[in-house]
Amino acid sequence: MPWTQQTSVTLVIVEDSDEDFDTVCEAVKRSGVAVEVQRATTGGGGLTLLGELAADRPALVLMDLNTPGTDGREALVAIKANPALKAIPVVVFSTSANPRDVGFCYAAGANAYHVKPVRYPDHLQLVIDLVGYWFGRVVLPAVGATNP
Amino acid sequence: MNPISSDLSQPLWDSQPYSIKRHGVSITNCDSEPVQTPGCVQAHGAMLVLRPADLTVLQASENTDRLLGHPAGTLLNNSVRAAIGSDGEASLKAFLATEPTDRNPLYVFTLPAWGDVPPLDVTAHTIDGVVVVEFEATGRTGAAEPDYYALVKKTVARLQTARTLREFCELTAEEFRTLTGLDRVMIYKFHADGHGEVFAESKRADLDPWLGLHYPAEDIPKPAREVFKQVWVRPTPDVAGDLAELVPLANPDTGRPLTMTYCALRGASVMYTEYLKNMTVTAGLTLAIRRGDELWGLIAGHHYAGPKFVPYQVRAACEFLAQVVSLQQQAAEDREHLVYRLKIDGTHQRLVAQAAQEGGLATMTDGQPTLLDGMAADGAALFHLDRWWRVGNTPSDPELDGLGEWLNNCPEFASSARPLYATDSLARDYPPAAAFADVASGLLATPLSRTNRNLMLWFRPETTQTVNWGGNPHDKPTVPGPNGPRLSPRQSFALFQESVRGRSLPWLTVELDAAARLRMLVMELVVSRAERLADLNADLTRSNEELDAFAYVASHDLKEPLRGIYKYAHQLLEDAAVVDEQNRKKLEGLMRLTVRMDSLLDSLLYFSRVGRETLLTEVTDLNEVVAEAVEMVDARRTEGPTEIVIPRPLPNIRCDRVRCREIFVNLLSNALKYNDKPQKRVEVGFIAPSEDHRRPGFPEGVSGLPIYYVKDNGIGIPARHFEQVFKMFKRLHGRDDFGGGTGAGLTIVQKLVERHHGRVWLESTPGTGTTFYFTLSCREGA
Repeated sequence: MPWTQQTSVTLVIVEDSDEDFDTVCEAVKRSGVAVEVQRATTGGGGLTLLGELAADRPALVLMDLNTPGTDGREALVAIKANPALKAIPVVVFSTSANPRDVGFCYAAGANAYHVKPVRYPDHLQLVIDLVGYWFGRVVLPAVGATNP
Repeated sequence: MNPISSDLSQPLWDSQPYSIKRHGVSITNCDSEPVQTPGCVQAHGAMLVLRPADLTVLQASENTDRLLGHPAGTLLNNSVRAAIGSDGEASLKAFLATEPTDRNPLYVFTLPAWGDVPPLDVTAHTIDGVVVVEFEATGRTGAAEPDYYALVKKTVARLQTARTLREFCELTAEEFRTLTGLDRVMIYKFHADGHGEVFAESKRADLDPWLGLHYPAEDIPKPAREVFKQVWVRPTPDVAGDLAELVPLANPDTGRPLTMTYCALRGASVMYTEYLKNMTVTAGLTLAIRRGDELWGLIAGHHYAGPKFVPYQVRAACEFLAQVVSLQQQAAEDREHLVYRLKIDGTHQRLVAQAAQEGGLATMTDGQPTLLDGMAADGAALFHLDRWWRVGNTPSDPELDGLGEWLNNCPEFASSARPLYATDSLARDYPPAAAFADVASGLLATPLSRTNRNLMLWFRPETTQTVNWGGNPHDKPTVPGPNGPRLSPRQSFALFQESVRGRSLPWLTVELDAAARLRMLVMELVVSRAERLADLNADLTRSNEELDAFAYVASHDLKEPLRGIYKYAHQLLEDAAVVDEQNRKKLEGLMRLTVRMDSLLDSLLYFSRVGRETLLTEVTDLNEVVAEAVEMVDARRTEGPTEIVIPRPLPNIRCDRVRCREIFVNLLSNALKYNDKPQKRVEVGFIAPSEDHRRPGFPEGVSGLPIYYVKDNGIGIPARHFEQVFKMFKRLHGRDDFGGGTGAGLTIVQKLVERHHGRVWLESTPGTGTTFYFTLSCREGA
């Protein structure tokens, strides 16, 4: 993909909407952070992808909740139940503001929960902030580091 | 122990053969009086006791000289031939050899008249290894004898026409009086507790009626009742007549007194004759009415005009009739109970049908019919939906509370097959009931469920309230007899009054059965209602789940495309090289509509959640709630000078804090939003329950609660829109006027108030301002 940069930092995004995926890519590009974006369109695909990338463990997962097939909730639970993956921060990024979804995700171990704004500029800015925060401010677990 | 006083307390007849004539009986021991071995006969007849083997006279009544022409002393140890001649002896011998005379006195022959002695009927029976021969006048005057067979046959035919037990008994009394010529014949019915009632009566016209009077159980002592389980008829032709003692008193062969149970001449107890004398009765004839082995009642005949001798023939006819009556009254009573049972069951079925139709058991006490229309009771109560429902004369609610608690723990209720408690003297089992014995001495109770302690009760008052007790208190008091104090109607009545205090009429088996059946009907009704409710609940749960799913679809699947639409419109606007003014406006409109659609979906979603999610109620300081709400709408205050006034501190109440804040946020934000005054003013306050609630426009059912209000000086709402403002997405103004909005705010306010069991309404004057009022009445745990 044209925007992919040579870097060891990987962002895995589980997103079935092309428009929303496009917004994330645009935001990553504008943020100037050097990350490699890998996409899955279903929760199940996301788990497979994480399995393949196990060696150079991805730095962050951006998870949509309502995807076809195995959805984001199930994928979140599976990641947090897997000793090899659970240290990876999972940031939920959903259309739903339902308190039940919010509660469920935090209880399952989500590291943050964001509601996608309907306005494109707001949406874009949110992802830019988010990428800037997680790849600029947060200390992420070292690649290849094992869990305690 | 003092041996002398111990001897004195011993009845005299325990140590030597008893004779009423000599020993009498006193009131304190009458229940143990040896009425079966009185040692005496009524002196209008004579008696010989014979050894069966050789018909030698063992005992003779002391009056044989007068009736048979031989003093008792000369008859003893001689053949009976001396008294009745050879022909008589031969007849008797033959009779005893062939007839079933054991404990069954039968007519043998008639001794012809001699001197001034009339012809005598000779009857004989055997008992305890002796032959008892009785001699009584035939009563024949030479006139034509009535045909007793025809009389009895006619009587039986008449009895069969009776439709009720009472009619049957009235006919019986009448027929017996015709047959015997006595002044008064009563059908005396025993109740379960032993007391008796004059159930039917036929009497000489000038006598006072005794019909409907009740007499204490003690009036007919136990030994007397036992006798009537064995014999059908008991004649006392001359109450004032003499007694003739048997000579000797004891059988010389066995040393034992003669058992006279089956003797027509058996000497009446002094207590009985004095009892009759007290009622001015001069002659009596009593017959038994039996139900199986039990004594159901008596046919009691009284005569007041001197001795009245009813000869053997007539007595035999009476005895036969008494047996017919016994058989037929049972059928008549069964028929009457069946009628009563059908009446109760019919009423109970209507009760249950009515309860099913009206949807509540309460109709059983305040509908038509009520619980009192079936069962013969003076009051009834139902514990249902955590309260008492009463009809007729019942104890008070607090008294019922105590009784209900006791009943729920009573062992009778533990029966799973038939949990039923019935008593005719409640205070004996439950002492606090003494306080309301006048209305509830009798109680019939049954639980309607095991879990929620529901009960159904019927009450009967103390019988002193309902029963006419025989015995006029102005009548002459106890007459001390020659042998000490005697039981008289007055004294036994006084005794009885003590024993009936706190007693009601007993419950009939028919009534217990009816209560048990009604219980089943009510429980079936309750169960079927519970099943229906469970079905409805399941439906509701299902539709709630569907609504949840729908709301989720609305929140997510409908919103996602909106984001895409907005994005493309935005990109078109940004990226296209040239966009003319018209197209720019269209693209901006597209994006605005997308955003609006998004917020409408948010409101819809929130509204659906508000209606279903459980309230978390706690005691809350409304002042804090309002302060938080003011802070949340604070942003609007920047649009101009704003004043929010709280004239006096708000109370602490039980409510869901977050949702109450939501109410105030919505009302405050409306108050500020729809306001064009240069100085916006909002007042938040309440009207206490003690203050004036009766204002025009205030709804019913808000008194007793504080009424909260949010009053503004805004643009006001025309009265015709008062209803509409609460409708979902209903806006009164242009979409973008007054800062826009989805039109869901007041709908959500209304929903939240309703969730708190409150009401919301408004007063408004266009151009001057609007006041929204609401109540909150959150119950504990609601």
